[in-house]
Amino acid sequence: MNLTTYSTDPAGLQSFYEAIISAHDTYAPVEKFGKYDFIKVDALSSCNPDSPIPKTMSVKPLFFPKSARVMKYKATSEGTELSDTEGDPLAGKRVVLGVKHCDARGLQVLDAVYKWDYVDTDYEKRRENTILISTRCNEASTHCFCTSLDYDVEKLDAFDVAVINGLDGKIYLQARTEKGEFFLKENANGLTVANGSAQEEMKQQFEKFAGSFRLKMDYSEINEKMKGRFDSAVFEDIPANCVSCNTCAFVCPTCHCFKISDEKLKDEGVRYKSYDSCNNVYFTLMAGGHNPRPVKYRRWRQRAMHKFVYYKERFDMNLCVGCGKCTISCPVNISIFEVVNRVASSMQE
Amino acid sequence: MDYTKQIQDIAGRLFSENKIDVFIGYRNTGFDENQVPVLINQYKDVDQLLFTDKSVFNLANYLKYEHTRNKRVGLVVKGCDSRALNLMLTEKQVKRENLYVVGIACKGVVDETGEMAQNCIECVMPDAVIFDEMLGTPSGRREYQENADVRELDGKTLTERQEYFEEVFESCIRCNACRHSCPLCYCAKCCIDQETATLFQGANTTSSAFHALMTWSLHLAGRCVDCRNCEKACPSHLPLHLLHKQNEKVIYGNFQEHLAGMIEEDRGAFYKYSLSDPDDFIM
Repeated sequence: MNLTTYSTDPAGLQSFYEAIISAHDTYAPVEKFGKYDFIKVDALSSCNPDSPIPKTMSVKPLFFPKSARVMKYKATSEGTELSDTEGDPLAGKRVVLGVKHCDARGLQVLDAVYKWDYVDTDYEKRRENTILISTRCNEASTHCFCTSLDYDVEKLDAFDVAVINGLDGKIYLQARTEKGEFFLKENANGLTVANGSAQEEMKQQFEKFAGSFRLKMDYSEINEKMKGRFDSAVFEDIPANCVSCNTCAFVCPTCHCFKISDEKLKDEGVRYKSYDSCNNVYFTLMAGGHNPRPVKYRRWRQRAMHKFVYYKERFDMNLCVGCGKCTISCPVNISIFEVVNRVASSMQE
Repeated sequence: MDYTKQIQDIAGRLFSENKIDVFIGYRNTGFDENQVPVLINQYKDVDQLLFTDKSVFNLANYLKYEHTRNKRVGLVVKGCDSRALNLMLTEKQVKRENLYVVGIACKGVVDETGEMAQNCIECVMPDAVIFDEMLGTPSGRREYQENADVRELDGKTLTERQEYFEEVFESCIRCNACRHSCPLCYCAKCCIDQETATLFQGANTTSSAFHALMTWSLHLAGRCVDCRNCEKACPSHLPLHLLHKQNEKVIYGNFQEHLAGMIEEDRGAFYKYSLSDPDDFIM
């Protein structure tokens, strides 16, 4: 299928956004308590599709919310009745504006696990009904390292529509999937089909963007070296100042562990699926009281190894997209980039 | 306010005299101007240590983790940190003889904008109240002042306040960073995490966040030292100080102007009975 590129200018982009917001259920970054959350919006003035990277939370909650109803149950002396919960607020057709490159890649990583083996139907439905429109990443922030991971950032194939800066204030809108192509065609009022220089201009812009990264590493080297580092003494040393909260996992676009809990009143109840994290001391607590990861460094080791070894082996992807959200949100700014590099460069024992 | 040299000297001396096993201080993040806590185990690492007005985190928090349990610890405390340490000592969480406390006569730390942090402007006790060695010239206790945000909140109607806090709790992701960053939340098993007795809902809903955060703030009523570790740790940037400062105000007004951890062996507002305690709220 031939994917179209449209050209516009900043004013045209604004009216494109406005048209989308008035015609569709639209989610976009909205400022709340000094950071940006993806929330349903009614007007472009209340949101910022080009929100600053370090202050924007992940788009993950729109697909894997912090807490979702799974089912309802009723247990009486006659037996147990199970029923579906009605009205998933995230299941309808919708458009998301201002998604960061790393966040969108995070969804591809989540797809691998949520559509593997047992398919999470709620998740699948939310993904199918959503059009993802990218933000314009022009400059890497302090903790960004998305270009260092196993994802071709230039291709932007995790989006349905990519919004990219061209030269001289030009902006290109490019369909990246079939879904995106149809969507753009329907909403192309005021946009013109781009001419031949578009590809070249976007390439130039990308090179400028790629040059702005402070953090660079070779992920394949990290993957290879970390394989043999399970017993590395470095792990025992690294997380000394970690406070053992769950922040890094909860803000991570790729962390997908959850717990199941019931909210019960007499015989009836609702079952919830909520975030959980391997940094939580109770995560591996077993019936009977044994806990194989009772100390911090073992939990940290699991986190680092899962991201760069186990997931890679199983799905051929890193469970890290280089967004830096964990480092920014961490109470003591522990950097996953620093940790894996230190582990990988430690001496083999 | 720069005590880098003095702290490196002290830590070096303590290690070479074999008086401590761990020294808790601050180091540069390595990627920006900010500082992070560091736990040092040997003499050769002491040159990492520094102390300036960016040394924000309350280091008393690390006394509750396995890295410092039953070890001889040296640590740096500012005024607020030392008050937290005082309470930990009173509540028998650490042994005084295991600690070597480097007190700072604090001149205030900065927030992320580079201005002096709000809790430092309102600080009642900038100097360390407990120390083995003091750095800087103490400036003494200051007048208690009511928090401006709390006053503003008190001026609102009940419905307005409810709406505001509903928004706050809706943004909470229940990561528990606030709890884990608080030196006074040292319980081996927090009541919020009980899974056998379902005291708290496990799901991360708005109502469960409300329940958990309100319980948390009440457990800290009369104990919070306003170091704002919790607020700085919150990934959702929630205004958690509103809960604590409101409690502080009520306790200050009703319980003989009590402020947490100001004196050694202080039992705290809720642990001691006094005939002058107010009882007009009892029916």
